[in-house]
This record gives sequence, structure tokens and C-alpha cells, in this order.
Amino acid sequence: MRGNVRVRVDGTEVEVDPKSVLLDAIKKAGVAMHSFCQAGEIYRGASCRLCLVELPNGKLVPACAFPVSDGLEVRTRTAKTLRVRRSTLELLLAYHRIECWACMRKGDCVLVKMATDLRLDGIPVCAECPLHPEECLLSKGILCLGPLTLAGCDAECPATSGRCWGCRGPVTREDIVVRALKRYMELGFNIGEVVETAEIFWSAHPFLEKIKLVTRGV
Amino acid sequence: MSWTLMDKCCPKCWHNPPSNPCPKYIECRIKGPLCHDSSECRKLRARRLNELMFGRHGIKVRVALASCTLAVGAADVYYAVQEFVRESGLAVDVDIVGCHGLDFIDPWIEVVKKGLPPAIYANVNPEEVSNIVSSYLSGDVSKAFAIKYRTGTAKGEFLVPTLDELEFWRKQVRLVGRNCGIINPESIEEYVARGGYLGLVRAIKKSPDEVIEEIRLAKLRGRGGAGFPTWIKWKAVKDQVSDVKYVVANAEEGDPSAFSNRLLIESDPFIVIEGMIIAGYVTGANKGYIFVGAEFDLAAERLKKAVEEARKYGLLGDNVLGSGFSFDVEVFQDAGRYTSGEETALLEEIEGKRSSPRVRPPYPVSRGLWGKPTVVNNVETLAHAAVIVREGWDRYATIGAEKSGGTKMVSVSGSVRRPGVYEVPIGTSVKTIIDGLAGGPPEGVKLKAIEVGGPAGGFLPASEMDVPLDYDELLKLGVAMGSGILIAIDEHKCIVDLVRQFMVFFVSESCGKCVPCRVGTREMLEILNRICCGEGGQEDLELLQELGETLKNASFCALGSGAPIPVLSTIRYFREEYLTHIREKRCPADTCPVSREVVRYEG
Repeated sequence: MRGNVRVRVDGTEVEVDPKSVLLDAIKKAGVAMHSFCQAGEIYRGASCRLCLVELPNGKLVPACAFPVSDGLEVRTRTAKTLRVRRSTLELLLAYHRIECWACMRKGDCVLVKMATDLRLDGIPVCAECPLHPEECLLSKGILCLGPLTLAGCDAECPATSGRCWGCRGPVTREDIVVRALKRYMELGFNIGEVVETAEIFWSAHPFLEKIKLVTRGV
Repeated sequence: MSWTLMDKCCPKCWHNPPSNPCPKYIECRIKGPLCHDSSECRKLRARRLNELMFGRHGIKVRVALASCTLAVGAADVYYAVQEFVRESGLAVDVDIVGCHGLDFIDPWIEVVKKGLPPAIYANVNPEEVSNIVSSYLSGDVSKAFAIKYRTGTAKGEFLVPTLDELEFWRKQVRLVGRNCGIINPESIEEYVARGGYLGLVRAIKKSPDEVIEEIRLAKLRGRGGAGFPTWIKWKAVKDQVSDVKYVVANAEEGDPSAFSNRLLIESDPFIVIEGMIIAGYVTGANKGYIFVGAEFDLAAERLKKAVEEARKYGLLGDNVLGSGFSFDVEVFQDAGRYTSGEETALLEEIEGKRSSPRVRPPYPVSRGLWGKPTVVNNVETLAHAAVIVREGWDRYATIGAEKSGGTKMVSVSGSVRRPGVYEVPIGTSVKTIIDGLAGGPPEGVKLKAIEVGGPAGGFLPASEMDVPLDYDELLKLGVAMGSGILIAIDEHKCIVDLVRQFMVFFVSESCGKCVPCRVGTREMLEILNRICCGEGGQEDLELLQELGETLKNASFCALGSGAPIPVLSTIRYFREEYLTHIREKRCPADTCPVSREVVRYEG
């Protein structure tokens, strides 16, 4: 029986089983990692490309499939890896139909955690809101700006029965804004009122003009 | 059926594969008989060799039949020749032959008569056939495109150049393409008559380590595109402990405008099989697969025939030429996808799965086909290996560049006067190939760029044309050698539009496995569409570059990381052209929708 191998993850040395992959070593080192291994069936075989880590020679390899070897040295959060991961997640989100207000995943969403970590625009507060779609403030007639506001605050206001005022700024993706505004209309809100509420925090935000433009189209 | 070179000359020949094969079978075919002395048997061979050259009656017409010539009507020419022979009642043999790779003379025929110089006729019409053949037989070769050598007996002989006098022929170094356009690709006899399978004979006399050493000293690097040293791959598989190993020849030439592998297989399938047997002997594999692209029907057919013939004469099967080593080859035709050309996707497909690339490591050399060690080589690499073993590494290594020896077959197309496949030493400058061999652009046209290595290669501006065609030198300029594609692009083509078309190709050919390639190519296409329609903004260029870097670094396989290279290399060299589209809303070549009145349909 061969002994364990030593791997250096961001400077921390860990000992792992020689048959394991890099991701195991990274987990053992206690380093948080972006990956879709939870959704194993969809992203089987190192295809989500989010757990890319950098080898000393500058090459990026997927941690979930790269076998460990003794003396292997990896860095998980270099500028290059973060840039590539951010861009990859952005591509992934581009084809994700974002309607978090109607999604059952709620606080369990991996995307929102990764997106906030990578400072990525595109996921509304609803994704973090613990309220079940049936208990949504909007369905009670309370004008909450959750569907239009950028996530990352853990949805503190809606969670404590206050409504979202949009203090984190708008989601700057047009398709989400269109869907969100349609949702407001379905629930019987006045679009003018929604924009007025949004102006409280976003009056200086360049994207507000775009939202106003969209309201005319909806 | 008359006696062929591959048959026994007399009952004394004891070659009887697979139970009792003769190790000297191949040499015996042309130098023989070796085991007994008989003037009768020697005469038999000499007569047959003569017959192969000039036909049974002293006159032979060879019609080039390969995909390239068939596309311009060689089949009709072939029928016309047969018709002519039948009607005229002349004793003429009609034979088929592969293609030289000089695509501008297709369809061509070669007429040979004893005592006259063998003449090649270019761009033959079916109607002209009778005139050509009868005027040749009357001793007039003045209409020929070229002759093979001079005999001084024909009329107009000195008006016609010999092949060696033609610049684009003389400047080539034909090693693997030696038999292309010379032999009948469906007759193993002609291949053996020209020294075929002697490489195999030399290889099995040596130990596998000696052969690997020879390949190393010859500096052979993989011709599939990545340029990985072949000897390392072979040694790695040889060193693996496994009862079953495989050799896979990759003939899935997926890149648009790549046709050198196809030409090689269609004109000389035997050299590929010879290279495979050598690879099998060296690595200890007993089974080989030739992975042929779906669109290469003719190539697959000829390969199958060549495999059958090799089996029949004991060159494949148990106990190859008495060496105790067994090897068999199967031709596998795929479903035709760009990703199938990736070495692991190809293994998946042979196993019967969807052709998506596998996670590497483990590399195929340790866990390949059905989990067994596997050598995956491009067909041209294998052919080069056969040449090296036959000619010896010392001769081979003198040709080519410092770090990589030998030659490369390049497919030249686009705005050149002589498109075709040319075999040049590695390290020949791109300018020599485009201007010297392919004849440069047509009258009055200026070249703007050279597309090197196909869609996943990259664009070189005309000012950088002096770069040698070498793996490392090209990488320095941000383009990859790929499978040896050179497309000449003139001023009447829009670079942005070309890149956009390449991207359309990648979008439709992406296997969809990894996110960067599946979504990234789509997004890049959208941006390029926007620029071509005049709706692009300044920030789009940065966006393209960022996306390109992501694809390059994060893609699963080389096909995904190759997809952004045309975009990145054109942004590097042709930024102005992008900016003209974006700022001035104008296409310099006037081909994009941006410079036209476009009717838009709302909705």
C-alpha cells in the first residue's frame, strides 16, 4: 500500500489519498471552491469548468478531475482563475432562464452564491429570499423591488417582512428586467409606481433609463 | 487472371501465411527469387514489373481518380477512355491512379507507351480523350502538360517541361507523398514494386527500442496539429504493462479546407497501414483501428481494400512475415463530426458512445480504447514513421527544421493560381509555399492575409508571410500549425465576415459538453454578427477578447480552446478592419450587410 501524497493548496500542505482528485485536497485544506459537483448528473466529467485551478506553469486544470500527485502545488484564487471562472459563470447564466421569484430553489441556489462571490451581475434578490413563492410579498400586494435588485444581501429585508427597496442597485440584464416587469403587471401592480419606487435609490444609476425604456415596451 | 507480383513464382516458394510465412517475402517480390535460383522466376518478375509500368501491351492510360479529380468530372473522363479503347480496338490498358495533389490540373490523365516519354495531360475533357490518346500514340506530346522524363523520340518533346523542371514540383520534397499520383491505390502490387513495405521489413528485424530511437533521432513530431514528439508517445505505450494495446490512426480530417490526409489515403492507403503495423510492432499492440471521417467514402473504401490485400499476403494477421508478431487493422468510419477528430472523442466513438472528449489525464497512452493503452496518431505521422524506418533516420533528419524533422503535406487553397497539396520540408517559409509553389494570387489581386491551420489556426497578415512553417515559430505569432492548411485571402474578402463564418462552424460543431465552448462560441458569434451588421460598439472588441481568453483557458478540449484563435489573431493583426465596421459603419471589402441597404423585418 502506497502512502499518502502531499499537495500544497494555496500554500497549505495537506495529505490525501493518492487516488483522490485535486478537489478532495482543496476541500481538505478548507479552501472554498466554486463547482457544480452538486449537480453531478448535469455536469458530469469536468464539463462545468468552474473549479479551474492554476498549476505553477500557468496552466488551468479542473480540480474535480485532475489526479493528485506528490508535491503538486496549486493556487485556487489567482487573478487568472477568477477571471476565467467569472467569465464562464457569466456564460452559464446567460442561458439560464432567471425567474428567481418563481423558483422553488430559493435559499438553496448554488448559482447565487457563486455569482455573489465572483461579483457577477445578473441574479435578483429573490434568489436569496427565504419566502416561498406562495408567501411572496408581491402576492400579498406589497411592492417589493426584489425581482429587480441585485442579490448579495441575503435578502434581509424581505426575510424580516419588510420589503426590498433596492439599496444594492438594479440587475443590469435586460431580459431579467423584462420578465420582472411582466411579473409585476401580472400581479396587478402599476408599472409607473414600480419605477417611482426604484427612483428612490437608483435615480443616479445609468441603468434606470434603460428600465424606463423597457417599461414603455412591456 | 494472369500472374501478379504478389503470387508465388513457382512451387518452390514456401510463403504460406499465417502458418508458414517467409520473412523475405517482400524483398523477394522485386529482387527475387531469393530462396532458389531460377532464370525463369526472375524473368517472370521482370516481365511483370514491366507490365506494371507500360501495361500488358506496351500502352497504358492512367486516369487519376480521387475525390479531388472526381469532383471535376474524372469519372466521365475514365468512361471516355474506356469507350475510346473499346471503339478503336487498340490494345491499351486502362488503369486508375491517385492524385499528385496538383488540384489545378484536375482531371488529368497519364499516357505511357514504351519508347515515348510518359505524358501527363491536364484539365482533360471527355470529348478530348480520343484526340489526346491518338496524337500521343502517333508520337506527338506537344499538347501535354508535362512529361515524366525525356526519351528524345517524340514530337514536341522539348516544348513540354518535365515534371522536375516545373518549379512547384521540383521544390517539393516528396517523402510520404512519393507514391501519390504514381501508383494505383487499389493495387498492393504497385506499392510493393516501388519499395513499399520495406520499412516494415526493416522494422521487424530490429528491436522495438531501436525503432523508437530511430524515430526520436529523426525528430518526428505529430502531424495532426499539436506537434507532440511521436517517440515519447510510442515509448509510453510500449512501457505500459497490458495484455491488450491498440493503435488508432486518426484520419478524421474535420477542418474545412483540409484535404492533405484525404489525398494521402486515397492515393496511397498502403503507407498508412505500413506505418500502423510498425507502430503496433513497436508498442506491442495487436489491433489497429483506422478512424476515417464520414465524408471520406472513397478513402475508406480504398483503405478497406488495402487492408484486405495486406491480410491476403500475410502482412496483416498472425505471425507477420514470420516475426511472431500479430497485428490486424479495422477501418472504422465515423458519423462525421468536427469533435470526432479529438483523440479521446474518437476513442469514445469507436467504443460506440457519443463522441465527446474525455477527461485527461489519464491520457490515452495509459488508458485509451476500452481502458487499454492506446497510441493515437495522425495518418500522416504514421506514414512518416514508415518512411523513416525505410529510408533511415539520418537521411530524414537532414530535411526539415532544427527541432522537427521531415516534411509536411500542406493543403493550399483560396486566392492562389495553383491550389493543391504540396509536401514541403518543415521550416519552409509560408511565402515560398504561397508564391513559389502555389503561384501566388491571380493577376491584379493583392493578398491581405494567410489563414494558417484552418478554423482553429489563425490569420497571418501578408507582411508576416516570411515566417517558417514550424510548430514553434507559428505559435510565437499566435497561430497554430493545425493540420497544415494555408488559405490565401485577398483584399476582396472581409476578415470579420470570414471569422464570423468560422464561428458559425464552431457553434454548429461544438459537442456541447463544456460551458465555455457551448455558450462562449454562441456569444462570440452574436457579437460578430452585430459587428457585421454595423451595430457593434467599441466595447465589443474587448468583450470578444475577454471571451476569447476564457475559451482558450477554460475549454475542455483543444477544439474549444482553438475556437477563439481566429478572432484573437485577427483582433491582433486586423484591428483596423474591425474598427472600420464599428466606427465608420463600413465594410472595407464590401461584403458585410453593414455596407448594404438591409430590409429589416420587425417582429
